[in-house]
Amino acid sequence: MTDKQRNLRIFIPVYVIFLVVYVTSAIMDSTFITWRNNLNLFTRLTPLIFVSLAQTIIILGGGIDLSIGAIVGLTNVVAASMPFVDTPANIVLWLIVPLLVGLAAGLINGLLISRGRFPPIVATLGMSAVWQGVALFVMTAPGGEVSLSASLAATSQLFGVIPVPVLIILASVGITHLFLTRTYLGRSLFAVGGNEILAFESGIPVARVKMWSYGLGGLLAGFAGVFLSAWMYSGDPLVGSPYVMDSIAVAVVSGNSLFMGRGGVLGLIGGAYVFRLLNNILNLLGVPSFYQYIAKGVVLVIALLVTSSSVSAQILAKIRSIFSRRLPTDAEEVGR
Amino acid sequence: MRASTKAPGRLGFNRSLSAGAQLYLLLGGIVVALFIVGEIVAGGFLSVSHIGNVLRTAAFLGIVAIGQTLVILTGGIDISVGAVITMGNVFACMLMNGSNPATIWAVPVVLAIGAVVGLFNGFMIAYARIHPMVMTLATGSLVTGFTLIVSKGAPKGLASPALQFIATRNIAQIPIVVMVWALLAAVTVVLLARSTFGRRIYYVGANERTAYLSGTRTRVVMLGTYVICGAAAALAGILMAGYTQTAFLGIGNEYTLWSIAAVVVGGTSLIGGRGGYVGTLLGAIILALLESVLTIVQMPEAGRQIANGLIIVLMIGVHYARARRR
Repeated sequence: MTDKQRNLRIFIPVYVIFLVVYVTSAIMDSTFITWRNNLNLFTRLTPLIFVSLAQTIIILGGGIDLSIGAIVGLTNVVAASMPFVDTPANIVLWLIVPLLVGLAAGLINGLLISRGRFPPIVATLGMSAVWQGVALFVMTAPGGEVSLSASLAATSQLFGVIPVPVLIILASVGITHLFLTRTYLGRSLFAVGGNEILAFESGIPVARVKMWSYGLGGLLAGFAGVFLSAWMYSGDPLVGSPYVMDSIAVAVVSGNSLFMGRGGVLGLIGGAYVFRLLNNILNLLGVPSFYQYIAKGVVLVIALLVTSSSVSAQILAKIRSIFSRRLPTDAEEVGR
Repeated sequence: MRASTKAPGRLGFNRSLSAGAQLYLLLGGIVVALFIVGEIVAGGFLSVSHIGNVLRTAAFLGIVAIGQTLVILTGGIDISVGAVITMGNVFACMLMNGSNPATIWAVPVVLAIGAVVGLFNGFMIAYARIHPMVMTLATGSLVTGFTLIVSKGAPKGLASPALQFIATRNIAQIPIVVMVWALLAAVTVVLLARSTFGRRIYYVGANERTAYLSGTRTRVVMLGTYVICGAAAALAGILMAGYTQTAFLGIGNEYTLWSIAAVVVGGTSLIGGRGGYVGTLLGAIILALLESVLTIVQMPEAGRQIANGLIIVLMIGVHYARARRR
């Protein structure tokens, strides 16, 4: 098996889960496969995809970012407090300023973690309160306004058929995938996430790579904030809070291992879709929203057992060792 | 804990102090400083009743943080505590429904449910080898769903008078909750320092593989810490029910992050194997004091968040610098 096949294999479970959930949904409710429902799903998917991309980049580099939701909230209110009169200059401002804010916030997180060597969980936990505070400083309550044409464009359909959110999703995942597999920084990320000391000894600028992983994470969170402002046509400082845990869940369900430097972004569409789909189909079936928490938890547990547990890894290793007479490696043994 | 062999610091007095004593001196100094700042901005901050109130706030957090400390000492983390607190809060009110006799069986039942949640966490983390962060994330979602389904989204019931008495009254001007907390804290400190289980928690956190190879049943130890964590969170939920009288579905939300913050501010390393509960106790008091000072100066929510975030980041920096110096 080539490396490429091995790398693609980790995305299989999530798409199997996706297919199962999608087909079950389609059978259980006929309105589910209507174009209108799917269109709505794509729109709801977009910010989650952006945030999950951000979280994945950071997780691949061996870190984690609990402040990503606060950065989404911050960039969201910054976007909504830009001048909203429909001029090209204003639209550029609406797009660029929040992205720069997100990048800066991410880089400050990264600086603390790479140069200050703060443990990522608590550093981003602390910074999450800081960024949330700054967001509340910019806008104490939901409000603001967004340029109408930009707002409409983000959720419209190109040539009347192709939903713009779908294009955004495909482009963002594709670009991030190319970044991770084809660029020096992207490749280094896996090395740093896999074994920091080894990466350092082979000449990779570990601190810089880590710092930029958080920076890019902040930038992508900024995209989510901007998209949310377009979709809601306003800003809300607390809009990001559910995205912290959701992004980690989606990243892990999609085949990324925490603190191991393994994974990629190709599974994210399936992973994010499963989570949004669950809510969607339970809504359509009229199930009380309480059960969505249970469904989310169950899917996460199953996905974790399938993708990262030693149970399945050991079974696989056992089967493989029968054929290859090879001892299971450490990673297969420990399996997390 | 070995004594510091470094040259005396700038103040010249830390030569004779162990690293632990230095930590407690540092945290204790922050507590005193916050009290002084509080007294300056508002007279009466140092009154017995106000100190009692601050300690009461710290007690709820401190009890949750008992479990979190043990879990973090093994190198794990539990982000389901918020959900378990809410569950304990809601179930306690439903089961006792304002009656004192019902309290006698309701409290153990709710504690047991919390322990079962911890057992589930511990089993999946220690035996199925799922990363604690994501596993407890999933459990948190399950517990929240379970709580919502059982309470049908609108929790009913009332805390019993006995529970309200424990949660709100003082004896000799000391809140009873604070006494409960002090008792539990003493048990935790002795457990960590003097019991086999406590020492093994440190071994597992320092190096799981080495601990395993030298005969520690690492998985049982990890399982134990998560069970304690679940029960401690449920207990905090029960006590909060006594304080607010009725159940509230959002009561635990903040406590997940705050319990981790208390542990970290208290100088326990997230990597595991280093730290202890006395630090966490002071950490909880520091966070409660800061909250009180910010409330008194009528800091808007934005500034409050920023101040809380900065103190966490600052304290990590201080602890990291101390660890590197040794």
